[in-house]
Amino acid sequence: MIHVKHLHKSFRVHVRQTGWLEAIRSLLNREYRLVEAVKDISFTIEKGEIVGFLGPNGAGKTTTMKMLAGLLHPTSGEITVGGFVPFEQKTEFKKMMSLVMGQKSQLIWDIPPMETFLVNKAIYEIDDRTFQQTLDELVELLELAPLLDKPTRSLSLGQRMRCELAAALLHRPKVLFLDEPTIGLDVHTQEKVRRFIVDYNREHETTILLTSHYMGDVTALCDRVMIINHGTLIYDGELDVLTEKLAPYKRLEIRFANIPAVPWENYGEIVEIEDGKATLRVAREKVAEVSSHFLQHFHVHDINIQDPPMEEVITRAFQEGFNDS
Amino acid sequence: MRRYVRIFREFFRACFVEELEYRSEFLGNLISSFFGIGIAVLTVNIFFYQTDQLGGWTYADVLVLLGVFNTLRGMIDFALRPNMPRLLEHVRRGTLDYILTKPVDSMFYVSFRHLVFWRLIDVLLGIGVIGYGLIKKHYIPSLVDVIVFIVTIAASFVLIYSLWMLLMTTSFWVIRIDDLSFIFDSFFETARFPVGMYRGWVRIVLTYVLPAAVITNMPALSLLGKWNMATALIAALLALVFLWLARRFWRFALRFYTSASS
Repeated sequence: MIHVKHLHKSFRVHVRQTGWLEAIRSLLNREYRLVEAVKDISFTIEKGEIVGFLGPNGAGKTTTMKMLAGLLHPTSGEITVGGFVPFEQKTEFKKMMSLVMGQKSQLIWDIPPMETFLVNKAIYEIDDRTFQQTLDELVELLELAPLLDKPTRSLSLGQRMRCELAAALLHRPKVLFLDEPTIGLDVHTQEKVRRFIVDYNREHETTILLTSHYMGDVTALCDRVMIINHGTLIYDGELDVLTEKLAPYKRLEIRFANIPAVPWENYGEIVEIEDGKATLRVAREKVAEVSSHFLQHFHVHDINIQDPPMEEVITRAFQEGFNDS
Repeated sequence: MRRYVRIFREFFRACFVEELEYRSEFLGNLISSFFGIGIAVLTVNIFFYQTDQLGGWTYADVLVLLGVFNTLRGMIDFALRPNMPRLLEHVRRGTLDYILTKPVDSMFYVSFRHLVFWRLIDVLLGIGVIGYGLIKKHYIPSLVDVIVFIVTIAASFVLIYSLWMLLMTTSFWVIRIDDLSFIFDSFFETARFPVGMYRGWVRIVLTYVLPAAVITNMPALSLLGKWNMATALIAALLALVFLWLARRFWRFALRFYTSASS
């Protein structure tokens, strides 16, 4: 669905210095610096995939997404989305994709969201029946019924985001770009939005590319992640593989009736030993062995094996780099 | 084309609903429109207490001109003024992103998305004043007069639109030109009177360099049966050339759109 080959984007940025003299000088003679926002990125996304696009602020995620959506002109490289070259901005292309930005709104501020939907209906040339069907479906999935006739300005951030999603999906796009869709939402609403995205993807086989700062979004939604840093793609693959590669250990929590006096450090790295509970970081391949050892030899109340938190994994990835990906 | 008419209608409807949110504005707008045209007519009357000609135009002629001015200004305030300054905001805040992903011509969208339909009152009042002027003059325009009038007033509107659009498109590079519409206001105000009223270099400038006067004078003269086919055609052609330029410039500028970061 999405093919990207050797994509580059550089911006010419005016170098600003502080101070009066410098300000005056910059009026006469501006210095420019070329900033490479995206450097030689290549990837392919198949129909129906949900791919998470991760990276620190300023890594080039949004720039790449905007090039995919046809908003920015690539400096060099090739992009096709559903067979179209995005920057040509063909009508057929625009009708098959949609963009949602968590920080920018397309809803008309002073009037109910329904009015925006009707404007979009005209713009996307949706016929009455399809419009009604799609609207009914979205209203149900996103629980919009009580919101439709309230002025947008009176909606909460979470309610507004749900309406944004509906506005973006009315024309049933085949490709959906989500830029920070859950930013600023409370945990409960985040969860709602995520569940909606998963359901919608399953139902309609929409290809979704998502950027987010919240690991929760990525772990809940994506099987595949792409990590970008300083404009370069440093990882592209399954989320599970990434976790395995970067975090070759699991978190083992064991509760005992009486905590035994054993040399804990022989089993793994000690995270915490407290009353009746031991938390260890154990190498992946030893997890089974260690846990069965405790189960056989001690009176264990409860045992809990977990993957390390995603934040930890990603932070490590950026600190240590990816050597062989 | 039909599609764009439908979209335009939808924009109009959405704006209508939006404006009705603030109902009290209706009365205010109605009063200010009547007051504005009333004062303008009064001013013309005061002029004509002193003289019976203004730059070669009689009282009735000037009324027709005033009507044309009001009509054109109503059209500008209806469709252009609400949109043109907004382009700057779209570029600065990055909301142009949404517009560019919509399957409509982006220039059409930024030009006509916001309509202040109260200002159509000015258009109606303008047409009323034109009618009054014609009655005073005891002149019934022929069909050809009306056609030439429509062509020239449309040309004027397109010309103003294109120039304004060209100016606002520069906001892709110069993000801080704070509201340039005041330039248009002072320029457009000169169009209230007959060009013949101005003297010397002012007249030359207003005729050839900044043809503000021509913009209203020509449609008014057409309606009074004093049109000139050649000038009307030149006006129409000029308008089309500028429209084409504005479009080209817009397409060109989009390549430089860098979008505000999120």
